Amino acid sequence: MLSINNLHANIEGKKILNGINLEVGTGEVHAIMGPNGSGKSTLASVLAGRDNYEVTEGSITYRDQDLMEMDPEIRAREGVFLAFQYPVEIPGVTNMYLLKAAINAVKKHRGLDELDAREFLKLIKEKAAMVEMKQEFLYRSVNEGFSGGEKKRNEILQMALLEPYLSILDETDSGLDIDALKIVAKGVNLIRSQERSMILVTHYQRLLDYIVPDYVHVLAGGKIIRSGGKELALELEEKGYGWIDELAAA
Amino acid sequence: MTNIIDHYVDQHIADTAHNSEVMPAWLVQQKQSAIEQFKSCGFPTLRDEDWRYTSLKSVVSKFFEVKVTETTASVDLEPFLLEDLDCYRLVFIDGRFSLQDSTMPQSVEGCDISALGSMSLIELEQAPPALTKGGTVSNGFSALNVAFSKDGYVVQIADQTQLDKPIEILFVSASDNVAAQPRSIVQMGRFAEAVLIERHVSVQGLTALSNSTCQIELNENSKLDFYLVESMDSAATQIHSLDAELAKNSTLSCRTLTLGGGLVRNNLKVSLNGEGAHCDMFGLYNTAGKQHVDNHTNVIHAAPHCTSNELYKGVLDQRSRAVFHGRINVEQDAQKTDAIQTNNNLLLSANAEIDTKPQLEIYADDVKCAHGATVGQIDEASLFYLRTRGIAEADARSLLTFAFVNDVMERVDIEALKDSVSAELAAKLIDEKVDLRSEA
Repeated sequence: MLSINNLHANIEGKKILNGINLEVGTGEVHAIMGPNGSGKSTLASVLAGRDNYEVTEGSITYRDQDLMEMDPEIRAREGVFLAFQYPVEIPGVTNMYLLKAAINAVKKHRGLDELDAREFLKLIKEKAAMVEMKQEFLYRSVNEGFSGGEKKRNEILQMALLEPYLSILDETDSGLDIDALKIVAKGVNLIRSQERSMILVTHYQRLLDYIVPDYVHVLAGGKIIRSGGKELALELEEKGYGWIDELAAA
Repeated sequence: MTNIIDHYVDQHIADTAHNSEVMPAWLVQQKQSAIEQFKSCGFPTLRDEDWRYTSLKSVVSKFFEVKVTETTASVDLEPFLLEDLDCYRLVFIDGRFSLQDSTMPQSVEGCDISALGSMSLIELEQAPPALTKGGTVSNGFSALNVAFSKDGYVVQIADQTQLDKPIEILFVSASDNVAAQPRSIVQMGRFAEAVLIERHVSVQGLTALSNSTCQIELNENSKLDFYLVESMDSAATQIHSLDAELAKNSTLSCRTLTLGGGLVRNNLKVSLNGEGAHCDMFGLYNTAGKQHVDNHTNVIHAAPHCTSNELYKGVLDQRSRAVFHGRINVEQDAQKTDAIQTNNNLLLSANAEIDTKPQLEIYADDVKCAHGATVGQIDEASLFYLRTRGIAEADARSLLTFAFVNDVMERVDIEALKDSVSAELAAKLIDEKVDLRSEA
């Protein structure tokens, strides 16, 4: 699905990623953990195509294509989805409008028929129920005045609608209380399948109680310094990120 | 070579010789004093505080012809009509009324809609005071308008009368190098209600000047929805002055939607004279190329418990320029005034320029007055967010631009009009992109 080789990236001349290597197979869920400033969110942004990062070395192959050659919208249509840590509020654009434009952009790209109003409404109601989102939120401006939990739920709704092959969830658990976290995790687990891969970027082990990963990677100083199974997350929780600093220094 | 002042004064002499017999003496007198005033003040210059951001060089250097005869140019109106707009329609070509192109209401009780140029001497004698008392002459343009105006719409709605359909007034500039000078009057009786749409268009490529004025009088508890839609070609110049007087508990809602015109200046003056009067002023301007759009608004709170709500939004691209000057006066007696003024601008190009200037003069002590102005660009974070949802960059930009003007567009309550303005805006945003590409 995804193959990252020796990825180096700068932001405004400052080195953030220092040679990331990561293989994500189809159907796998990978968690990337690490302390603040380790480069987790940068990695997520680079995968989605944000242009304020400069990739200086390395390559990213996604479904046998060079991901770096694609604009963000092409990545999205090819099945890459980023759930934002801080979803953007867009006053004046209704959630419905965005969702419909998004799904039809994806369908058109894949040579499929676009959904008409009725088909779309049926689909969106089904997906909204899946993430327990009240319908009134569909008719409001994108994320405007949404609580933290509602914004994250809206991200998962978009993900459920677009059915991406590769989902990157950037600190989706941050700022959520336990009830909101459970709803979000439930949505993610419903989308999880043999055909879809996921990367969960998180600071805390807590999320992984609800979305159990196949692999856990520890990121520090812009490099993956340790990889393992889900038990690595527990070890990290127990020993704290200080342990990571020791590992990194060694 | 004659100078520009003499050019107009000479035309006025010819005009008076030709027309004075068919005008009442007071009107001849009114026009005479207006041209005298023009002679002494001339056109505004950058030294005038109210015009300091708007250079009139391109207008005052041209010797426009003011039509003295009644013949109207033949023009294909089809491209200018709004198909789905169910309305009464008055069409003016080069400032002169064209009955054959108009759809007048047939005997709607309490509603008198006519053209100034078609009024008989007797009718003129009974004309609304806004006409007979001489209009407001505040600068060279309004002086020229009073001096030369022969036509315009006159709408009088009787007490308790509600008009069943909007009235559309279509001003078409169809002759090269002609200055149209329509002067219009609206008088709303007590508890009367009406919707009025002024649309200004011009035939492509014509160097035309439209110098129009409109005086509106709202009596107690009356309500007027007024739309000004400016879609002239970029070779044309438009000067528009609207002056409204509001009596007790009356409501005026103005929407000024400016998409076209090379140089556009709108003077909007609203006087809240009676307790409980309210006015909304919503504006939208989208400029590109070398367009210059200047909105000058002035709300005068002269009575207690009046409210005014003003919101103007601008989208500027390429080398265009816009000016927003919003003045609020609160007079000493106008206690409990509630006035809001906002001007937000979106710059799509580094070469575009906006000059925005709020101005508050408050002489009462128990009032609520808020104002704010912003200038910004397309938000990169929002743009990226939309792109990660599969929306192409160009579409995302235009979506965010539409989102920016959405709160003004929402105030356009007539669907056919909203659709046409949206379409015009969309076409313009696409054109701008094409132009950018060819520039690159």
